[in-house]
Amino acid sequence: MHFIGKEMDQYLNQQDYVDTAVVPLLQLDLSANGMKPSAGASEYLQTLTALLEKQFKGRILLLPPVSYAKIANRQRIADELSEELKQTKFKHVFYLTTDSEWRTIDSLKNVLWLPAIPIEDMDQSFKKSVMEDQLRQVLPLFTKEWSHHS
Amino acid sequence: MSNNRVSRRQFLGYTLTGVGGFMAAGMLMPMVRFAVDPILQQKEGGDFVLTDQAVADITEEPVRVDFSYEQTDAWYVSEVTNSAWVYKEGDKLIALSPVCKHLGCTVNWAGDPEQPTQFFCPCHAGRYEKNGQNIAGTPPLGPLDEYEVQEQDGFVAIGAVRQNTLV
Repeated sequence: MHFIGKEMDQYLNQQDYVDTAVVPLLQLDLSANGMKPSAGASEYLQTLTALLEKQFKGRILLLPPVSYAKIANRQRIADELSEELKQTKFKHVFYLTTDSEWRTIDSLKNVLWLPAIPIEDMDQSFKKSVMEDQLRQVLPLFTKEWSHHS
Repeated sequence: MSNNRVSRRQFLGYTLTGVGGFMAAGMLMPMVRFAVDPILQQKEGGDFVLTDQAVADITEEPVRVDFSYEQTDAWYVSEVTNSAWVYKEGDKLIALSPVCKHLGCTVNWAGDPEQPTQFFCPCHAGRYEKNGQNIAGTPPLGPLDEYEVQEQDGFVAIGAVRQNTLV
């Protein structure tokens, strides 16, 4: 489900079934040279999470991307986010990111780090097949997590 | 000639009726046009979307067929890609919606290795028969929706979604 008003009603009624939150973590790099790769990574991450939401609509709540500056303290973001998520009934939380610095943060469980693929120049059908390949690598991680703890 | 003389009274009567008729028509015509407008409206989204899946390649085993169309959400126009599970029953084409009737996940044909002839929803292990009938005891409460489907020049074309007519 998306984090929009209409679907929140459904979520609140179905909290037992929707037990997984997905948080995209997005680094903003607005320097002259960093802007384009950063935008590409954002496009990639949001396309991927949208596909993921489509596949698992009834079990995951896709939160809007958490965007932060390059110099942001990742540890602090991690602590604040997990503190916020503690109030919810989610049994599983996945963080998806293309920012490699998250690999050094140990306090977050289930951080899926994916190298961004520049998809902006691909034509529609090629982009689709590339993104579906990417999705196929992520899906088993979810089903595995669910089958372990349910 | 003298029998058909039009009196001043008759002339004024005809003239006023004529002018009044035009005025009445001038008011009624737009009203009639407004009244029948819903019938003349063109329907949006009722058309069939041509896919690149050849009908000849479709067998009795459901395959995923993707199709795209433009969707307008307020001022935001986006291209939406949906898919359908298409198979043949005899010579008849059947297209089922992949949207699980439980909470809207995407179901897969033979997604559960133990049930190779059923649709499987990975979210909460919902299952459906090949015709879309939900299997009792699994979370879904109704059968999968069906798409209208037809053949156009040898390719599959997918239309509007409707309730399952097979079960």
